[in-house]
Amino acid sequence: MKEQSRIPTSKVQRAAKFVKTGAKVGGNYVKHYAKKAVNPSLSKDELHADNARDIYNSLSELKGSALKVAQMMSMDKNMLPAAYQDKFSMAQYSAPPLSYPLVVKTFQQYFKKSPNDIFDSFTKSAVNAASIGQVHQASLEGKKYAVKIQYPGVANSVKSDLKLVRPFAVRLMNLNERDLDHYMEEVETKLLEETDYHLEVQRSMEISEACDHIPNLKFPKYYPKYSSDRVITMDWMDGKVLKEFIKTNPDQETRNKVGQAMWDFYDFQIHSLRQVHADPHPGNFIIDQEGNLGVIDFGCVKVIPDQFYEPYFSLIKKDMLTADNELEQRFKELKFIYDDDSEEDKKYFSGVVRELMGLLGRPFHQDVFDFGDDDYFRQIFEMGEVISESKKFRSSEKARGARDGLYINRTYFGLYNILNELEAVVNTTKPEWAERVVA
Amino acid sequence: MEEKKAAKKTVKKSPEEKIREGYISYVLEHGKRPESIFKFVKGLKIKEEDFYDSFNSFENIEKHIWLSIFNDTLEVVKNDSVYDEYSVREKMLAFFYTFIEKLKGHRSYILQTVPKKIRPELTPFYLTEVRKAFKDWVAELLLEGEETEEIENRPIIGKKYDEAIWLQFLFVVGFWIKDDSKGFEKTDAAIEKSVNLAFDLMGRGPLDAIVDFGKFLFQNR
Repeated sequence: MKEQSRIPTSKVQRAAKFVKTGAKVGGNYVKHYAKKAVNPSLSKDELHADNARDIYNSLSELKGSALKVAQMMSMDKNMLPAAYQDKFSMAQYSAPPLSYPLVVKTFQQYFKKSPNDIFDSFTKSAVNAASIGQVHQASLEGKKYAVKIQYPGVANSVKSDLKLVRPFAVRLMNLNERDLDHYMEEVETKLLEETDYHLEVQRSMEISEACDHIPNLKFPKYYPKYSSDRVITMDWMDGKVLKEFIKTNPDQETRNKVGQAMWDFYDFQIHSLRQVHADPHPGNFIIDQEGNLGVIDFGCVKVIPDQFYEPYFSLIKKDMLTADNELEQRFKELKFIYDDDSEEDKKYFSGVVRELMGLLGRPFHQDVFDFGDDDYFRQIFEMGEVISESKKFRSSEKARGARDGLYINRTYFGLYNILNELEAVVNTTKPEWAERVVA
Repeated sequence: MEEKKAAKKTVKKSPEEKIREGYISYVLEHGKRPESIFKFVKGLKIKEEDFYDSFNSFENIEKHIWLSIFNDTLEVVKNDSVYDEYSVREKMLAFFYTFIEKLKGHRSYILQTVPKKIRPELTPFYLTEVRKAFKDWVAELLLEGEETEEIENRPIIGKKYDEAIWLQFLFVVGFWIKDDSKGFEKTDAAIEKSVNLAFDLMGRGPLDAIVDFGKFLFQNR
């Protein structure tokens, strides 16, 4: 996984990267006006191209291998949503921590009490930064709690931030406005949902209850009484985040145990609950000493509609990929190809999608899959490279892939990626209707 | 509502408080300032000469309405058990958050009497008393900040810090008056960001290093 070493991961690096892009874009403007002074007929095209290139460069470096592959998986020019995603995480990362007086004020506003009146102890500074807020540790009667507090005004800024990136996106992707809307809506709804802490508490409680039966999986308890629009109180989970856990070099058995819990968790959510924790970011998982997997942060939950579920998951059946007629129908339903495509385009796109789905569905085609197989991941990356450099994809006038795919793909990539880092060997359980594939 | 509350409590209130509250409810109900002191005191059922014992004009009342909000705020902030543990920056933040909370209770009155636009270079008349009290308090904070080295005492501009913080005060109040976000969340963000900026500027930063280095080069040419 050579790519990984180049991708800036720390917050500081991300923030710095973004500043650098800002500076470059600023530089482009200076350059533009300098040129314009000499040659007044100069149009802004060059400027925009310059900007787009610089933004593209830094975003593609930033977005992380998982997202990069996610982009290719949804089989369209959706570098755009990935770019949006990162634009936001960066904007939030660079936000300075909330001061303690503001934390007190937020508490006063919602509970009419200050944190010290509710808890025995409450850390004055944040112990952790969440994507759009920060986490404080509190204790009451010997029990530890995690209290997540949202930055003020985040919800309001989502829309305006999206507008900000929009013009760049249009030029970057050569997309028409309608195609852009297709994704914008999806991204915007999800981002707005993330700012709704009421919803998060409710979903967390629902999903953790439904997944209670899965072995080696743990959820914090949530406390609606001390949660509000901008505050969430839950149990503090002791343990290591995934990255640190891997650094301790656990034995294969523990790796498999954690990996299996992860797989079971997602398998159950996607196929039984039909709504999924769509943010399998390593920071959202905590592993305790016994190797139990703790899941935190249900900010991003994607509900999977039936009209997407059916055609999409039918593609993971191995025999499906050889049945031409039905396959074309499925591809149309998923908006990989359109009725008014030329025959040549149809052939090209369905060929690529088929190859890709064959590759990505591989874990489903076996009973046991070794995610530590770097060769498999290398193949995926190579495929991703081919697609992102393909002229046909870049110049296609239509968005390729249904918008629901956006978060599902992201989820699967996050999942695969984590399992790969874990080097886990997993029993790839699958829904009953897919079982026959194996035979 | 406002008037009812005022009426109930009037018994134990000082005449000054009674006049202040009477003035606020007059403005709220009539949507304008009273036309004359004579008419105003008649409504309050006090004698005009008693009025002059406490205030001498409506402007004066307005000044004291603001001052009392300010004093209340400072009292609340200073009585908070964590206040002494706060850094200077946090004290300032705590003050602004509490002040905005207090102002909320008087928002209608403030929107009625304060013009939409506050020009920061001019201190409006109703804030002149607050300005004095605020600067006294800020002076204490600045001293403390120098001791804890949160604030760098620089020649010349170091003496203007209190003025700058006053401008910030006006900025925050002006921002709040225009704020239309839910629960005045934007004002919270504005306070957080502006106070942090102010203290980052007043604290030791790259500029000091630049000046220091420049001085060194100049002396060692």
